[in-house]
Amino acid sequence: MNPRKKFIVSHAPFWHNGSNIPERSYHTLLAALPAVVVGLHYWGMAAVAVVSLSISSAILWELAINKVTKKTVTIGDGNAALIGLLFAMLLPATTPWWAVLTGTFVAVVLGKQIFGGIGGNSFSPVVLSVAMLSISWPHLFDFDGMLVNYDLDFVMVYPLAAVKHFGAGTAADFSFGDLLTGRQVGGIGATFGLGLIAGGIYLIVRGFIRWEISISFLAGIFVAALIFNLIDPTRWAGPMFHLLTGYTLVGAFFLATDDSSSPVNFVPMLIYGAAGGVLTVLIRSIGAFEDGVIYAVLVINLVQPLLDKIRPKALGKVV
Amino acid sequence: MSSKKHLQLAYGLAIVLLVVGVGSYAYTALTATVLDEPVRIQFKSVAGKVLYSHKMHTAETGYGFACYDCHHHPEDDETSLRACGDCHQGPLEEGVVLESCLECHDSDEVEDTEITKMGDAFHSKCIQCHQEAEAGPEECSQCHVL
Repeated sequence: MNPRKKFIVSHAPFWHNGSNIPERSYHTLLAALPAVVVGLHYWGMAAVAVVSLSISSAILWELAINKVTKKTVTIGDGNAALIGLLFAMLLPATTPWWAVLTGTFVAVVLGKQIFGGIGGNSFSPVVLSVAMLSISWPHLFDFDGMLVNYDLDFVMVYPLAAVKHFGAGTAADFSFGDLLTGRQVGGIGATFGLGLIAGGIYLIVRGFIRWEISISFLAGIFVAALIFNLIDPTRWAGPMFHLLTGYTLVGAFFLATDDSSSPVNFVPMLIYGAAGGVLTVLIRSIGAFEDGVIYAVLVINLVQPLLDKIRPKALGKVV
Repeated sequence: MSSKKHLQLAYGLAIVLLVVGVGSYAYTALTATVLDEPVRIQFKSVAGKVLYSHKMHTAETGYGFACYDCHHHPEDDETSLRACGDCHQGPLEEGVVLESCLECHDSDEVEDTEITKMGDAFHSKCIQCHQEAEAGPEECSQCHVL
């Protein structure tokens, strides 16, 4: 006889432990806030406009689709607000209003509601939206072009563009101190490394995201970048540079960890995260794009149903 | 927090941030000023974009070039110098006069409409200057980003 008790079920009444979707959403919003606040500090009123409009329009798009489809109003769960904030974090501060409205529409309606709402989406809504917008209007995600009129007291060149086009030697222009403290060109909420790491650790400690995905994503980036760097240090930048630039940290802690588009078991989560990290570096190093996080996360989102089939199979997944 | 309060919070967030967002967009649009001198300029060409730091070339802490080291029209008024792209738009069809010319001149005053196209003007100016100073990029891939 196996004496181990696997699962104990008792009869009613049950006591809810208080954990729910709104709590999850608002804690994630809170975790992202330090990175956003530092972004607003550097990029000013233009960034305030983008972040505010993004959050409000995401909520309003969700409300509109709830009304049109005559379903229960779900904006109270905070997920739409979270989508709006995460989407804004990836944008340059000078993004025009129409692009923000289009992006939140794509994220909330095409990325989430069309699949039946929260929990049914195959892809991270934010990642899907950024991918679609960056293909439709590539200039909107050309940080060098979008931020030409900013004159801040740090290197005003998008680090990943510099390294990709002018060689790994340019990585030396960017100090790790600057990269960690948000003193780099990039998305409004994607540049403050320390804030993103702190937010990520908070979410992991509170159990809102799984460390397996974030850590394996970062490990995948580190190892792949290290291999490229060892092969040709003049052509490919080192692993620490890749960890602190572009969408790496926001991707590891806020995008790849999206609930319904990531696997649930230990080994699948490790494979999922590591594959995302490796793909990111592959795209950055030998692909066509400067940053690879968006397409890497899209691809791992795509394979996650297969990963969930690794035994023991995930229970209760609908995607 | 009850679900009703969550809903109220979401409505509140949507309304407040909509007002802040629209207000901030309006504020940035209304207070936007044309800079006396551009900070950086991104030139776009079929051979790839070029990010040019105007400030680094002109600032005293940078290379400290005078305006007339590059700009040359009008010759007698530094405060109303034209941007490169205002004139270097060629090749133009014969007889066509640029709008930027007509801002100051009558059409019959404009005799020479054969203006070097921008790419040629830049290549000549940038490379020549970098060669003379023995500094700065000279190869295509050191400036152009595909």
